[in-house]
Amino acid sequence: MAFFKGRPSRSDFEKEALPHLPSLYSAAVRLTRNERDAEDLVQDTVLRAYRFFDSFEAGTNCKAWLFRILTNVFCNRYREKEREHEILTEAKSSDANVEQFFAGVEGGRDVETALLGRLVSDDVERALAEIPQDFRMAVILADLEDFSYKEIADIMECPAGTVMSRLYRGRKLLQRILFDYAVEQGIVDPGKVPELAAEAAAQKESAAPARAAAAEAETIDFESFRRRRGGGGGAGHGQA
Amino acid sequence: MARPDRVRELACDDVEAFTQSYVDGELAGKDRETYERHLGVCEECRRAARFAGRMKAAVRGHLPRRPVPGALEQRLRVALAAQPAAPPRWPRLTWTRVVPALAMVGAVVMVAGTARRHHSIVMEQARRTYQAELPLDVTDCNLVASFFRGRVDFPVHPPKLADHIRCQGGRVVNVEDRPAAYLVYQDPNGHRVSLLVFDPEWSRIEAPTRQVVQGREVFFRVGPGISTAGYQDRGLGYVMTADLDMDSVRGLVSQTLH
Repeated sequence: MAFFKGRPSRSDFEKEALPHLPSLYSAAVRLTRNERDAEDLVQDTVLRAYRFFDSFEAGTNCKAWLFRILTNVFCNRYREKEREHEILTEAKSSDANVEQFFAGVEGGRDVETALLGRLVSDDVERALAEIPQDFRMAVILADLEDFSYKEIADIMECPAGTVMSRLYRGRKLLQRILFDYAVEQGIVDPGKVPELAAEAAAQKESAAPARAAAAEAETIDFESFRRRRGGGGGAGHGQA
Repeated sequence: MARPDRVRELACDDVEAFTQSYVDGELAGKDRETYERHLGVCEECRRAARFAGRMKAAVRGHLPRRPVPGALEQRLRVALAAQPAAPPRWPRLTWTRVVPALAMVGAVVMVAGTARRHHSIVMEQARRTYQAELPLDVTDCNLVASFFRGRVDFPVHPPKLADHIRCQGGRVVNVEDRPAAYLVYQDPNGHRVSLLVFDPEWSRIEAPTRQVVQGREVFFRVGPGISTAGYQDRGLGYVMTADLDMDSVRGLVSQTLH
């Protein structure tokens, strides 16, 4: 068995990395929210991957390795632009627990069906673009690229608990924004769901900008979950 | 709706955050069993789990892969063709590979000594830029930090090298197609010292001589006529070049890292 492999050629790299181009480009468009920036981001990612191809261990997950590079490049190059956008986003987003609302009110299932059944791709694309960068990245990696929490943790260089927290917050924001769109477009009648309208109004008046920092600090971990479970004795949704 | 007491081991507030783990297929073993037991008796949480699953599927369904523009693919192929060959990939180490390889390496070392070729683009670039004596973009040291803001991807604060060595200014240079900061200093005897500041993720620092200075790994290359030292500090890469001997350059590096 030969110890030294031949010097990998450009075609070796292309064979390994370029099949992931559609994934990289799709994620890049949604991260940068700009096709031109996305092209630059993908180009930087691929060239950097090529330069450091020796650090990639053959047989391991090339897609995850490429996404880690993409994430690094994105964070280094676009973080500043993102901050301005996120300040605006945080100021206008509320965080009502929409699925609990659907679960908790009479006729919630109809609203759920109306919302999910009549969503249009442009709305989902727009809603995703509105959520803060770290949350958006977690949603893209988990929901669109099917990475596991562990892989996302490696890609985003954070603990798995933080991945769960970002994913949780990102999805909540996404739901909230989509619900707002549905109300705006008359798909959902807030008059029929006064509890949610009141909740949303109250949340919009609250200090939303502080929420992002709090969310960032919050980390979900299974250990505390198990401790609580072990301790027993919890209350449900007001059920007796 | 009443729930039997036996299932009140979990509060709905506790399981809420784990609904997504369940939907994502990340909840396993006892955790999954406990969660599913809760779902079995809690209509609200069951609905929440169903909604989370539908929501995930809806998002995925509405956000398909974007087709890669043909122009981007073309750009990438041209850019890749213009790159130097990819570096060798190290194989996975197994005993069947390591033992014969170590024997071979030992033999080579005995015959050839410790000669080793080191090639670092950034070290070479620093030397070439130093020798070219290019004009400076900014010649007031007090304006260096603001000059580089927005021109390079990281903040640039000219480090103090020594009391008698004064900052002359700087210019933007490229390291592997990425903008980097090139700072120039001079001592009263006319010796020039330059400092190339760059993102170390973009280029590797490597040179024949490795030493530890102030607890950091510093690589040195000497001659002809100039000495070069490469190191990292606080997330940035630095290559110092000067028409001084290696000990003098090591002393300057030590001051900046102190």
